[in-house]
Amino acid sequence: MRFSVLLFFLYRILQWAAKHNAAYQNYVGSIHDVKIMIKTADGKRGRLFIFDRGAVRSRSGGKHSYNTAIIWSDAKTGFRVMSSQSDEEQFKAAAAGEMKLDGMAFFAQWFNDGVKLVM
Amino acid sequence: MALINGGHLVGKYLKEIENVDVVFGISGGHLESLLDGFTEYKIRTIDVRHEQAAAMMAHAWSVYTGRPGVCFLTAGPGFTNGLTGIANAYLDNAPLVVLCGRAPLRDDLKGALQEMNQIEVVRPITKWAATCYDIKRIPEYLSIAFRNALLGRPGPVMLELPPDILNIQIEESLVPMPARPNPKYTVHPDEADLKAAAEIINNAKKPLFLGGSGIGFSGCSGPLGKLVEKTGVPFMLLNYGRGELPDNHPLSVMDIGNLGLFFSIARFDVIIAAGLRFNWLLQFGQIIPKTTKIVRIDIDPLEINRNVEATVGLVGDAGSVLGQLVPFVNENDHGEWIQTLKGAGRSVLDNEHRIRETATDPIHPVRLVAQIQKFVGDDAIYIADGGDTQYFGLGFTTRQKAGVVASAAGLLGCLGTGLPFGMAAKLARPDKKVVVLNGDGSFGFNAMEFDTMVRHNIPVVCVINNDCAWGMIKHSQEVSIGKDRLQCSELGVRRYEKMVEGLGGHSEFVTKDEEIIPALERAFASGKPACINVMTDPTVTSPATHLFYQSLKI
Repeated sequence: MRFSVLLFFLYRILQWAAKHNAAYQNYVGSIHDVKIMIKTADGKRGRLFIFDRGAVRSRSGGKHSYNTAIIWSDAKTGFRVMSSQSDEEQFKAAAAGEMKLDGMAFFAQWFNDGVKLVM
Repeated sequence: MALINGGHLVGKYLKEIENVDVVFGISGGHLESLLDGFTEYKIRTIDVRHEQAAAMMAHAWSVYTGRPGVCFLTAGPGFTNGLTGIANAYLDNAPLVVLCGRAPLRDDLKGALQEMNQIEVVRPITKWAATCYDIKRIPEYLSIAFRNALLGRPGPVMLELPPDILNIQIEESLVPMPARPNPKYTVHPDEADLKAAAEIINNAKKPLFLGGSGIGFSGCSGPLGKLVEKTGVPFMLLNYGRGELPDNHPLSVMDIGNLGLFFSIARFDVIIAAGLRFNWLLQFGQIIPKTTKIVRIDIDPLEINRNVEATVGLVGDAGSVLGQLVPFVNENDHGEWIQTLKGAGRSVLDNEHRIRETATDPIHPVRLVAQIQKFVGDDAIYIADGGDTQYFGLGFTTRQKAGVVASAAGLLGCLGTGLPFGMAAKLARPDKKVVVLNGDGSFGFNAMEFDTMVRHNIPVVCVINNDCAWGMIKHSQEVSIGKDRLQCSELGVRRYEKMVEGLGGHSEFVTKDEEIIPALERAFASGKPACINVMTDPTVTSPATHLFYQSLKI
């Protein structure tokens, strides 16, 4: 539950930033139709973030098609690491196999760097 | 009394002083005496179909042999055609010696055939460029050219040889050859700096050794092996340094790939960077935190603090410096850190690892690379040429020095280098299998070199990763200007292998996963230069595309 709420708030923050934060507007402004999924490995929880020419849209659920997915072993781990906003924690999670990337891995880094711009 | 002409003097110097066995180029009227000099002194000539390929082959010869490569260009268009290859060698710091014809001196300013100021054109992309005006000084000028190419940071040089000196004769005893050069003029770091670097390495908890082309040109597998094995520091070798120690070395973390490196780079507390520039491919070092301690080893002192400030800088030939560093470092074990690093790399590359094991229709380029590797093995030389294709090709593993080269991934981003590099690799190491993984776009630049391969019996196997597009540009445009506005980025289905067949090579056309390995078997068994045209998934985009796209975003 906390994982899903976190993803929803993240969506709202990015949506707001895409309208009001000049640095983030520039960051996402020229990207066409890139879909980034953050979800649990079982796909039961997740959220799709859609970036298209400066707009950020989102859909709840972990079953949508995507360009890149950040996949957490479970919701608890996903919440713990994402809410820490720590690259070190994310690295440790990857090293332990608790976080994996699927699809276009570059966009995961792009997404995370964008989040850092607004946090 | 024995007379010798200028062209023969060049051949004599190359053979007797520099031990040059093979040169690359295209014939031309201005070079006739020079060509005869190659015959006289039994220097093998590989005559290509475009001079850029000659320069690229000579560049690659230096990579695969550790000795300077020599190309010859005729005046005017021969020279201008070679410029791309010279520029590429300049940005890659490769010791390339260009021998270039020119219009006769006696006709200067009269409108002679192919009269142009070649020296001023080439000067910004060479370490040294000059014209020889006196037949007696040909050996001296050649000696200067080779010294400039090799000493310090290597690079290309050009010596212009007018027919006024190539085509005249002189009493041979009046032109003594210089002594055989044996340059050992190395710069050494201070002992205090060596100790400071060793202290940083000895106290490191999460270190990485990153080696670049300077490792390869130094040929320093001995001292490099001693350093990493004593300190237990994990290593990645990039560019022409790849394979100086084998990818399957216990301390190698090559398997985390570029993605794993980028993902992990902020986690290292110490980075030992040797013979490696922090250029755009490493995002100018901006991805390295200020807290990371950097031990920088480079032959060029100007490189030490370029883009990233070094904690300690050690100037000198990489092998020499590493050898001096070994006595000061402690024995250590970073096994746990290496496992953590590899674990993170596995998670980041999880998708690619699964693709490697899975047959798909259409064929995924990562799967294509895995199948080639499965058949050819790691005791081979791989070259990747293209945009997305170079990223996929870096997934090959090797235990050959410079065994995996993304020839188009240098600073010039020079597409078309794959086939010339492949030819040079096969000539330098004829007992090894050589595979060029070519993008379909980049294949077009030097495709006629299959004629060269057939004439000279250079059996390279070229696998075209055919996505019917300039893939990196197309996928960048899809993200930036939209799929409905693609411009100049699509190529279409083309039967490139039929062209190769027409030139006398072996050809294969592959559309299904199960056809890949049988096609490779037939290609290698043919003993001919071979082209395997593999239709791959045109929707696949490599991470390199987005690095490229982001680097140009203002």
